[in-house]
Amino acid sequence: MRLWIYVVRRILLVIPVVIGVMTITFALVSALPVEQRLVSYLGPTPRLSYNPTVPCSKLVQGENGTCPNPVYVNGVNRLGLNKPIPVQWAIYIGNSFTGNWGYVGNKTGVTQSIPIAAGQPVIKVLGWFLPYTLELAALSLLLILIIALPIGNLSAVNRNRPIDQAARVLSFSGYALPAFLLGSVLLMVFVLLLGGSSGLSPFCKGQSSYTDLYGSWPPVQCWPGGVYPSWLTAGQISSPTGFPTIDAALHGNWWFAADTLIRMIIPAFVIAYGTVALLLRFVRNSMLEVLNLDFVRTARAKGLPEKAVVKKHAGRNSLNVTITVLGLTFAGFIGGFPIIESVFNLSGVGRMIAYSVTLTPYDFGMIFGSTILFTLLVVAANIIVDVLYAFLDPRVRLG
Amino acid sequence: MADEPALPEKRPARVRRRPSPRIDQFRRTWYFFRRNTLAMVGLGILVFFVCLFVVSFFYPASSTELTTYQATNGSAPSPTALYPEVCTYQSGEVPPAPNCYLTPDGMPSVIGPTDTFHPAGLGPLPFGSLTLNPPGQIFYDTFDGLVKGAQWSMTISVGVVASGAFIGIMLGVVAGYYGGIVDEVIMRVTDIFLSIPGLLLVIITLAVFAPSITSLWTRVGLVIAAFVVVWWPTYARIVRSQVLVVREARYVEAAKASGAKGGRILRKHILPNSIYPVFVQMSLDVGTVPLLIAAIVFIGFQVFPKLNFPEWGTITAFSVQGAVLASFITACQSASALGGGCTFPWWQFFFPGLTLFLFAISVSFFADGLRDALDPRLRR
Repeated sequence: MRLWIYVVRRILLVIPVVIGVMTITFALVSALPVEQRLVSYLGPTPRLSYNPTVPCSKLVQGENGTCPNPVYVNGVNRLGLNKPIPVQWAIYIGNSFTGNWGYVGNKTGVTQSIPIAAGQPVIKVLGWFLPYTLELAALSLLLILIIALPIGNLSAVNRNRPIDQAARVLSFSGYALPAFLLGSVLLMVFVLLLGGSSGLSPFCKGQSSYTDLYGSWPPVQCWPGGVYPSWLTAGQISSPTGFPTIDAALHGNWWFAADTLIRMIIPAFVIAYGTVALLLRFVRNSMLEVLNLDFVRTARAKGLPEKAVVKKHAGRNSLNVTITVLGLTFAGFIGGFPIIESVFNLSGVGRMIAYSVTLTPYDFGMIFGSTILFTLLVVAANIIVDVLYAFLDPRVRLG
Repeated sequence: MADEPALPEKRPARVRRRPSPRIDQFRRTWYFFRRNTLAMVGLGILVFFVCLFVVSFFYPASSTELTTYQATNGSAPSPTALYPEVCTYQSGEVPPAPNCYLTPDGMPSVIGPTDTFHPAGLGPLPFGSLTLNPPGQIFYDTFDGLVKGAQWSMTISVGVVASGAFIGIMLGVVAGYYGGIVDEVIMRVTDIFLSIPGLLLVIITLAVFAPSITSLWTRVGLVIAAFVVVWWPTYARIVRSQVLVVREARYVEAAKASGAKGGRILRKHILPNSIYPVFVQMSLDVGTVPLLIAAIVFIGFQVFPKLNFPEWGTITAFSVQGAVLASFITACQSASALGGGCTFPWWQFFFPGLTLFLFAISVSFFADGLRDALDPRLRR
């Protein structure tokens, strides 16, 4: 099979999974009160509420001076809530596939923190914050590979020696240490290390070192003009590519790019630490398996230095398993983003989830929208991993 | 086998009877488990937690709501008006003046109610200190919370893992044994559940149902249910992969040949022989549940109706929330600017965090030892 056929097949196979995920969210959405569904999926109305009935004059025929609310009736019709469940399901799936993920509410945790998001479509607001999350994910992925591969290989080569035991303890502690605790402690430690004055930003003398590490980008008062640059309008929306560091670099604002990147390093490390714990064992075991294979013995027998054997022969061949496991852990790793982004106050998609559940009228459009978005990211990552795997190991696509 | 037809005893009485094969396997597992130092350390900590669980029922504190302390602004002399003296005391008691600790106005304060406490020192014995609660400046005793929290945290974790494993094992056995369309359907459903990040699935389930549930016990049940929704697919997968191996075994063939029905084969032959890997996963997951609850509370979701609810995750999350740490930093910085001392209240989050960490790491050591002992290929 050619690689591209494999890719297309893999993508087609994913569609039922996505529909299934949307069915789960649909089941949960159906459990919500009707008014809540109308608010979340049709957007908040400026004047009329979504109450089923509104008070009206005695002239109009109605019980107790109330009439059915036209906004409510209209909304119920538009969402198909008066139709049977399968039809509602079909409408919901259709909406989800066409990017109609509902609207941000008017007075929720999200709008309290980002006022301009009020009443906006969820997918648009998520689009503002997705690039940052992707940047953070890429950086964490890089750190994960940098940490997991050498340590895993080392502990396989030195099997059951102290270094292997140390790696084992490291991996367990990464699993058992809550990410928010590690993140907060690291934040505190670095704030205390950096001291009272800002060490990073040339425009920001006298700021607390806390603002140097807390938040996704330098605070407004640190900017020469006192406002964010135009390509980061209103603090969230970035224009040419959407990715804050890349944008800054394109505009020649090297300081801004560096600062934004530096703020990502500690969060990315915390994410990587938690994920490495899961990955390390698999890297070690797959390396152990490969080290016992015949071609490694041949390589050793023909007198290659041990370094070359481990690095070039065994290391590359044990990569397959590592990549597969990395894909499998991606769901867990991206599920940790709401926490990390809350600890460091980063403007990513995960932060939106945290915002939408902090205040009691929860922002259901945002919660479900970001869940679908995260699931799509996981699915996409799995496809990429599979394709990579097929590329590295032709037996997969031929078999 | 218990259901063997009663055969006349042919063995000579001298020969000691071998224990049943499963007891034998248990002894062998324990033999290998005992040689693993890390696993024994994990088991030791786990025994301590189980003792704590038992003790917590007799510990004199409310098990649903911890005693809160009030922060009051006393009129004791202070360096500047900026620094009113803040003391904590139990309602009805005289405020313990010598233990008052200076913090800026409007800032949350942390007080160790022991006589040895000194603001410039490293803090008192943390067992007496209070955990601070950001929104309303309510304080509660960390030690009480951690002891009483043992019941809630461990009950919830064991409840989640037991019910998740039960559902997962049932579905996994059915999928693995019958195969075909049943297998296909169950496995595709687990695929779907596994592709949603677990934490998010818990959050959306809780967000939909929590607002309408106010009673504490129903809320706890809801938390367990929300976690079970996330947890069963893992078990289903593990059991299925085991069943696929076991169902090809000779003894299953023999059972079939002697006319056993599907249900009996599943119950007596397949289930007992494919369940061990589930124990490993179960013991791992017991430690994860409090961590996840802590994470959900941390991002601002009020899982339990009370803020001073004794549950490990809740206590830990409250003690490290961003607002709390930020205000401590500000307090410390302005205090040092005015020449005052400042103690970073490390014990506030160190001990709750340590409890969570020890619980999770002990079960993971235990699970790892169990896996090594059960799997002949990993034995050293």
